[in-house]
Amino acid sequence: MTYELNVAHLYGDLMNTYGDVGNILALNYYAKQMDVKLNVNVVSLDQDFDADQYDLAFFGGGQDFEQVIVSKDIQTKKRALTDFIEDGGPVLAICGGFQLLGHYYVDAKGDKIPGIGALDHYTLSQDNHRFIGDIVIKNEETGETYHGFENHQGRTFLGKDERPLGNVIEGKGNNGEDGTEGAIYKNVFCSYFHGPILTRNGNLAKRLLVAALKRSYPDADLSQQEALPIAATF
Amino acid sequence: MTLRSNVAAFAGRSSYWFLHTFMKGGSSLPGKITTKIDPEILKHLGQNYDVIVITGTNGKTLTTALTVRVLKQKYSNILTNPTGSNMEQGIVTTFLRAPKVKGARPIAVLEVDEANVIKVTRYIKPKAFVFTNIFRDQMDRYGEIYTTYQKIIDGVALAPEATIIANGDAPIFHSKNLPNPILYYGFKNQEEKDIKAKPNTDGVLCPNCQHILHYRYLTYSNLGKYFCPNCGFERPELKFAVTQIADLTPTSSQFEVDGHAMKIEIGGLYNIYNALAAYAVGRFLGVTPEQIDTAFSEDKKVFGRQEVINLDGKQVTLILVKNPVGLNQVLDMIATDKKPFSFVGLLNANYADGIDTSWIWDGNFEKLPQLNIPAYITGGERYKDITFRLKVAGVPDNIHQVVPELKDVVEKIKTLPTEHVYVLATYTAVLQLRKLLADQGYIKEGMGA
Repeated sequence: MTYELNVAHLYGDLMNTYGDVGNILALNYYAKQMDVKLNVNVVSLDQDFDADQYDLAFFGGGQDFEQVIVSKDIQTKKRALTDFIEDGGPVLAICGGFQLLGHYYVDAKGDKIPGIGALDHYTLSQDNHRFIGDIVIKNEETGETYHGFENHQGRTFLGKDERPLGNVIEGKGNNGEDGTEGAIYKNVFCSYFHGPILTRNGNLAKRLLVAALKRSYPDADLSQQEALPIAATF
Repeated sequence: MTLRSNVAAFAGRSSYWFLHTFMKGGSSLPGKITTKIDPEILKHLGQNYDVIVITGTNGKTLTTALTVRVLKQKYSNILTNPTGSNMEQGIVTTFLRAPKVKGARPIAVLEVDEANVIKVTRYIKPKAFVFTNIFRDQMDRYGEIYTTYQKIIDGVALAPEATIIANGDAPIFHSKNLPNPILYYGFKNQEEKDIKAKPNTDGVLCPNCQHILHYRYLTYSNLGKYFCPNCGFERPELKFAVTQIADLTPTSSQFEVDGHAMKIEIGGLYNIYNALAAYAVGRFLGVTPEQIDTAFSEDKKVFGRQEVINLDGKQVTLILVKNPVGLNQVLDMIATDKKPFSFVGLLNANYADGIDTSWIWDGNFEKLPQLNIPAYITGGERYKDITFRLKVAGVPDNIHQVVPELKDVVEKIKTLPTEHVYVLATYTAVLQLRKLLADQGYIKEGMGA
């Protein structure tokens, strides 16, 4: 294949609820069609995240216990991850991964768990209730509609530099109040969507891959990749 | 025995008799009536029994059935609860409908739902607990594995003298200091290496120091001879062990336990764990390995979970799948078929199936293209999800038919190129398919064996 991208699967052995690994499989599926070879590495506890080594990062959701462990370890990667994000590195973060990129989240027991604050959102809890069900959102800038399944206790509130991934058409979204779902900051895409998100929304997979290619191969002609048709899967 | 318990038990027994005689049913209603009158009824009902409580997220039903068969080799009075009656009221009903026992002290082998262990131990002090395993369910009924285990442990805390017979290959069962005596069972059949579980495996954190566990070998999911390179936490000594796997097919497994050859008429490595658990209980209660082998081979009906349906000459095996761990085990099992076979995947997402289909992405469908399967069909209400799953797994489009409607699936199966056909389906898809097949006279109505 002509192109190669290195993907960091952040805490892939701990943050892996609800088929989130399917996002890696979907990335790989579309990458092949774009003439791109993906090399996926799990970057987990006690390992450095080398921002120069990676072209794309994926960060899934986890169980409460695992997330607390990750919240401690990720502080050692805070600098490198923040640099990667500020430099336009593409990231997809789902559920717990979304929360941990922000300032903090409050877990089911009421404990405030620190994130890395690379993005400007925070997450509160709700008592004995979760947002569970099918969800549909629309991104007004691109006109793209995304389908997924949400299942979260957290209620996330976006900061001023973030845009939502989409506005809620059906379902609850970030907090059930302001009609937003997910977050976009530079090339970081966050969401509560399982499903997994990239298996139902190939357009978003393409968007991430194209962003990674443009950054890592600045002189390449990527018109074919950008023109790849994405068939509906849902 | 108090007057209240007497009244309660009488009311319950009468309602069971009524329901059973006139309504053809009644598994939890008598229990409901009885516990309403006397909430402590279990204390009264269970006091004359040696109770074995079998719990865990997967494998309870077969482990319970096998344990009963094993214990029957030595004991004459054994009570057990029917499948699905594993919550408090079903258990009360089980005791209520038990015949009056004369002679030796009877044994009750009870399958108990994880959250209901405490509802039993509040009134009954079991002789032993069996912990099969704890895997996450896609339905998220009790949340995460640690929460589920805590619910079990809260129940066990009320019976600190009971012996725990636990799956030693599951790290979670070695994670708490309990006052109870513990006997572990597991697998001791492989070369030792230094490996990690696959990235999307649950429960791989060392309970001691929260580093990632390594393994000398893995059996499936996060089960195996684990150790923590950071703090030295490791699998405990096994009291009972599978020492060799001799032959596996989709319908039978031959293996050795503590050096004794055994055979069960069912495929799947997870079922060897179930047999091993039953073996451990048997040995704990003085049943000999020879008697256990007899128990396993005597009554083949106990294994009747997988149903083979003859569909105009096709041997169709219908298998219920509901979570990634179970699914992966089924995929491993069908891979042991020595004859060529076709693959059918039917996905629904009604409440009983789990309304979130994300879990199929944790299943190792990537295994399928390596098995030289000549034909695939995907269908069901969520056929789009399962179709794309197989596409991503690398199943070629030219041998993959997408057939949303189950009635069309039945017709297509008849045209498949192989005699053996495996149909993996979620709960309501199994029910719908069975109904169709029953209407067409291929099987009798109902959920099957």
